Amino acid sequence: MNLKRLLSLTRVGIMSSLQFRLGTFVTLFANLIYLVLVYYLWKAIYASSGTDVVNGMTFSDTMIYLILATALFNFLENFVVWDMSRSIQSGKIALDLLKPMRFRKYTFWSYTGNHVVQFVLTFIPTFIIVMIVTKGAINLGLNLLWFIIATVLALVINYNIEMMVAPICLFTESTWGINIVKETIVLLLSGASIPLAFFPEKARMIVQYLPFRAVYDIPLSMLLGKSGSDTWQGLVSLFGLQLIWLAVLTIAGNIFWNCAVKKVTVNGG
Amino acid sequence: MRKRGLGFYAGIYRKILIQDLKSKMSYRADFIISTIGMIMTNLAGFVTFMILFHNFPTINGWDYHHMLFLYGFSLVALTPVQCFFDNNWNLRFQVYSGDFIKYCFRPINVFFYFISEVFDVKGLGQLAFGIGTIVYAWIKIGIPLTPLVIAKLIVFLLTASLFMIALMNFAAATCFWLKGSGYVMVIMFRFKDFAKYPASIFQGIFSVIFTFIIPIAFIAYYPSLVILTPDNVPLLSWISPLFGILFFYLSYKFWMLGVRKYDFTGS
Repeated sequence: MNLKRLLSLTRVGIMSSLQFRLGTFVTLFANLIYLVLVYYLWKAIYASSGTDVVNGMTFSDTMIYLILATALFNFLENFVVWDMSRSIQSGKIALDLLKPMRFRKYTFWSYTGNHVVQFVLTFIPTFIIVMIVTKGAINLGLNLLWFIIATVLALVINYNIEMMVAPICLFTESTWGINIVKETIVLLLSGASIPLAFFPEKARMIVQYLPFRAVYDIPLSMLLGKSGSDTWQGLVSLFGLQLIWLAVLTIAGNIFWNCAVKKVTVNGG
Repeated sequence: MRKRGLGFYAGIYRKILIQDLKSKMSYRADFIISTIGMIMTNLAGFVTFMILFHNFPTINGWDYHHMLFLYGFSLVALTPVQCFFDNNWNLRFQVYSGDFIKYCFRPINVFFYFISEVFDVKGLGQLAFGIGTIVYAWIKIGIPLTPLVIAKLIVFLLTASLFMIALMNFAAATCFWLKGSGYVMVIMFRFKDFAKYPASIFQGIFSVIFTFIIPIAFIAYYPSLVILTPDNVPLLSWISPLFGILFFYLSYKFWMLGVRKYDFTGS
């Protein structure tokens, strides 16, 4: 019964995302152009370096990593911060808070529909293109299963990071600024803009334990069989890191949200 | 209606600008955080750049300092679009909600009025960052400092900035036709990250596409060659000012076409 209620939120999300089908195709097309840019840049970089393997990453490893990071970015992207600030301004948040469901839960499940649509319409096509272009450089085995589990965990962690940041807007009335700070930190430290393997040794030691890595780097490493994810021991520690951050962020986010919600002042609505 | 001169529009711009700055000052926290955010994005871009060079000493024959110059050049060239044309990001919301109609009822140019409404102060942080980078790279490369070179630098920086402005105009104007066109703007905005790399990395058909259709190569690469390799400037660099003006004009026409279409549908 409860799950049915939640899934109906997913369904609504799917339907409303499909309203913007054209937008999705434009995104997919533009992504392909973006990937061409990434391809030429890294091709030039590897050509100038003189060696085939840099920091344990070959050219095709780097490409797969970055392409799928872009696809994951589209899949994971949500506008919690923007939507929340807009619904505070318009007063809609008052109605959401009155719903017979916890606000955090409600928001999460309303976004799932969009994630499903993005997964099917952008991630899967990109994945297939990568498979064709690299002529099957991605090993299709158990790693695919690990990748999917890690991606679901990444989705929840990403949502929790968003929900940690969004209530700050309640205090500062600065949506753009807060959002850009968050996005910059997440994209840089998660390995979405440059693979973590390229980071200098000392920086990597720190970044390795931060929650941002759990969003992009861990799922992608599992897919590529890097970072020790080809051994059981490595798998356990990677999943462990994800689960620990998941727990920490959920608890902290809950506490923070419960404090912040008392501060909400709504004009009209 | 007779044509208004530049002085008339400059006067209006000044008045709107003052109003905008006044309203911005009432959200001081927002201003400070946004400025920090802007600095953070620039720092992150810089860190990515450093990490890249930590692993690879040259890219396509470009060494560290030349790349740094290109990077600073692109930052400065991207400042006008950030400072003066930021309202393009609001266009789609205004069009959907119907508020856009208010711009059509004023006896001044719609594009001018809409764009002049917002001046984005935080873009100035990027400008400072970019100038600092250019100066540092300038000294390290040892480019001679003459008035002619400075004049060239300014002309070609302005040229370069026209391309990004035009791209964002095109992207923003798609909202007159497409629903949910925010993606187009986000993606165009992401393309600019590649302006800081030498366009010589592109090959074949894509070198044509990224030069003439999505002119990323003109945001920094071609204009900066005038300063970086004064003995060997490609023809495309010299004609880039003309090309920039043309591209900007086309984007303006496209934008206005959207406005005309909007008039017919109403809201």
